[in-house]
Amino acid sequence: MSTATHTEKNKVKKYRKEGTLGLWTGFGMLGAMILAGALIPRLSKYDPNEPSLIPMLAPSRANFFGTDSLGRDIFVRVFDAVFVDLGTAFIGVSIPLVVGTIIGTLLGISRNKRVNSFIGSLIDGINAFPFLIFVIALIAFIGPGIPSIILALSLVNWARYARIARTRAVVVNQQGYVEAARTLGFSKKRILFKHIIPNVSSETRAYALSDFIIVIIAVAALSFLGLGSKPPQAEWGAMIKDGAGLLPINIWWPTVFPGLALCWAGISVAFLAEGLNRRLREVNV
Amino acid sequence: MTTQNPLLSVKDVIIGIPHRRRETLIIVNKANFDVSSGEMVGIVGESGSGKTMVCRAIIGTLERRGATVLEGEVLFDGHDLAKINEAQWKKLRGKSIGYVPQSALAGPNPVLTIEAQLTEALRNTGDTKNIKARSKELLDLVKIRRVDTVMKQYPYQLSGGMRQRVMIACALATSPKLLIADEPTTGLDVTVQSQIMELLKEIRSSMGTSIILISHDLALIDDVCDKVVVMHAGATVEVGTVKDLENPLHPYTVALNSSRIDVAAPGSELVTILGSAPSVGQWQAGCRFSLRCGLVQPDCSVGEHPALIGARGSHQTACLHADRLKGAGAR
Amino acid sequence: MSDFLLEARNVSVTFGSGSTKVEAVKNVSLTLSAGEPIGIVGESGSGKSTLARVLAGLQPPTEGEIYFNGQPVYNGAKSYTGEARRQVQMVFQDPYGSLNPQLTGLSAVAEAVRIHDKCDKKESEVRALELLKRMGIAQLDALKKPRQLSGGQRQRVSVARALSANPTVLLADEPTSAIDQSAQAQLLNLFRGLLNDGLAIVMVSHDLGVIRYLTKRVYVMKDGVFVESGVTEEIFNDPREDYTKLLLASIPGHLGTAARKKLHG
Repeated sequence: MSTATHTEKNKVKKYRKEGTLGLWTGFGMLGAMILAGALIPRLSKYDPNEPSLIPMLAPSRANFFGTDSLGRDIFVRVFDAVFVDLGTAFIGVSIPLVVGTIIGTLLGISRNKRVNSFIGSLIDGINAFPFLIFVIALIAFIGPGIPSIILALSLVNWARYARIARTRAVVVNQQGYVEAARTLGFSKKRILFKHIIPNVSSETRAYALSDFIIVIIAVAALSFLGLGSKPPQAEWGAMIKDGAGLLPINIWWPTVFPGLALCWAGISVAFLAEGLNRRLREVNV
Repeated sequence: MTTQNPLLSVKDVIIGIPHRRRETLIIVNKANFDVSSGEMVGIVGESGSGKTMVCRAIIGTLERRGATVLEGEVLFDGHDLAKINEAQWKKLRGKSIGYVPQSALAGPNPVLTIEAQLTEALRNTGDTKNIKARSKELLDLVKIRRVDTVMKQYPYQLSGGMRQRVMIACALATSPKLLIADEPTTGLDVTVQSQIMELLKEIRSSMGTSIILISHDLALIDDVCDKVVVMHAGATVEVGTVKDLENPLHPYTVALNSSRIDVAAPGSELVTILGSAPSVGQWQAGCRFSLRCGLVQPDCSVGEHPALIGARGSHQTACLHADRLKGAGAR
Repeated sequence: MSDFLLEARNVSVTFGSGSTKVEAVKNVSLTLSAGEPIGIVGESGSGKSTLARVLAGLQPPTEGEIYFNGQPVYNGAKSYTGEARRQVQMVFQDPYGSLNPQLTGLSAVAEAVRIHDKCDKKESEVRALELLKRMGIAQLDALKKPRQLSGGQRQRVSVARALSANPTVLLADEPTSAIDQSAQAQLLNLFRGLLNDGLAIVMVSHDLGVIRYLTKRVYVMKDGVFVESGVTEEIFNDPREDYTKLLLASIPGHLGTAARKKLHG
């Protein structure tokens, strides 16, 4: 093995940063799906909601993914569902992220024992319940529909973010830079929004990315149970349920394609999360 | 100190991190020093000087960090540690060579009691008789009182100083010939530091163990070591006894000496070294101290880093112009 | 009410209650005059960091008072307000937690400059760069995030940030403990320069070598109380308490060796 001389080492070859592959793959997959979700329903000659075709046709050149039991083109329906599924999941993560981070942070820095133990117990209580069951119970109470899913998810999920935020906020609050901000006379508002929350939300945002995958599946699962989107709106979970009854007679396409779409969404976010993790890890080394 | 058949001999060692997409990153080039039986050698240098990496090469944990010895020899007790494989390492590591890590970084396993840690360390010797008694002996050796209580405790119940003593005890379980203490007192109070140094000195004299002490604090090394190895930016730049180093032969050592606060008059201007050591991957040609050196000459910045001048075992320096230093920086 | 720049009178700090009560600081009094360097020396657990935080206005004392410029500092849980707040600044021990990891050195210091000088963003950055330069941080390094800086550099950025308030008192809690000997020398030189500019410094440390170099008076702290105090040079030449002698004997290098010789005759 030769040893590189000093002068050679000065030529730093350009290299790809860690995690780039994951980030590009993830973005690419997700981006492609979103683009398709925007364009395909518009460009296709089929209407996603009109039962105008012969039902249960196998995939062909005319209908890429075949038709479902009511005679609708599955291809256009799968992509019509993109915004519903991804959009609902996105909102269903964003609201708990923001609410949970703020509440958790305030709790972490508060010195008021009573408030702390009251809300703290509330958070622990909510977190103790199995997530999906709690959500289902809430929806049974509120009534089905996409807005209900979002509401139920928000009411349950914020507690998970709050717990992470609270733990992190306690640590951040004791850090030198926060104490320095106090001695420097910064206003409480500035300290909270410029110093504490950004360093707390770095953790909750990381959690949000992996939570996104869980919520996508949860949204589909809830619709599968009939608690989600109202028919005839296309939605992956509902489509899977509609197609489930046809599986015993070997009509696989109404179930498999929405299922694949779900997988695609989940995997692309997983790539994104992994790529981001690697990138951050390299930077911190 | 005789260097005939030293216990450990690090010869012209070059360590690097091969990377699949980039060039191999060199982190040590070259390290050169000997440790004789019963000797306490201090390796001093700033962070990034390569001092810890060299010791990783001696205990064989380079692989884990993706690094490997690219050239040179690490001769210990008849083996060349740079060339043995993992199977051979299993027989050597932790047995003839012990390691005490930085107090702040690692430490006893937080989920095991002290007794469990010592048991694990003693099992390493292959002799499983009387483990409990021998554990207590080890704790005694590192001057821990209330041995019975401590045996049952968990690391979090002990102070930083006591945890380090436990680490030293574990390292001594196999009666190693060589003990490497990597910045063992960083982060500990000076009083605790002083006690741990006394302990190391006693271990050296009573057990005849050779000790390598890594530190960034020259004053500390001055206190307890017999020999000093000065490292800068991955290279050994000066080697000599503590007495030798009262008249340092390398500008870097001179600067380190001058920046010591124990010798500075209160309130006087401390001599500091300009800039900072070039980081790995950004080493310039020639002597890597040249950019910060007050005596720099044109021939200092070309070619390879200067090799150590002088016979092994004598006062060596890697400065091409050491003769201009005679008298300067002396204490 | 007080003739000194900063004064602590009979200060005690107790944490917790009942079985978990910890008396970190017990009935301690100290004084600091303008431009004076004093030291508080003790091991970990002595209460010195807690005392420093009390002086900085971050920890209200359970008993006793703190006076700054003759005025009481604490009013319930509130401490320094207005003009007084900017005059007393602190540098913390852990260089790794003392800077906001999301801000570059320049942003951190500029933010402080903006708050104190009430200038616009551009002007604050110019002043911040100058301050950082005085601290030995080059422009290139000022644009780096903390994780790209060494421990010594981070400490100097922290000092720059503290100085942006133009304080009259700087509390330094073990600023040299987590950094290299060479970086330590740089930082101490910096402090010495600030002393020459008229800043009063309270240096908290476990290393008497650092205290000897920088301070004129020192308080020796053990288990929450001051066991000895006086002029630094006198403490060194003629320590009275055994604990002080122990601390002296532990200094690495020549000072310690000399003290040990005296101890053992």
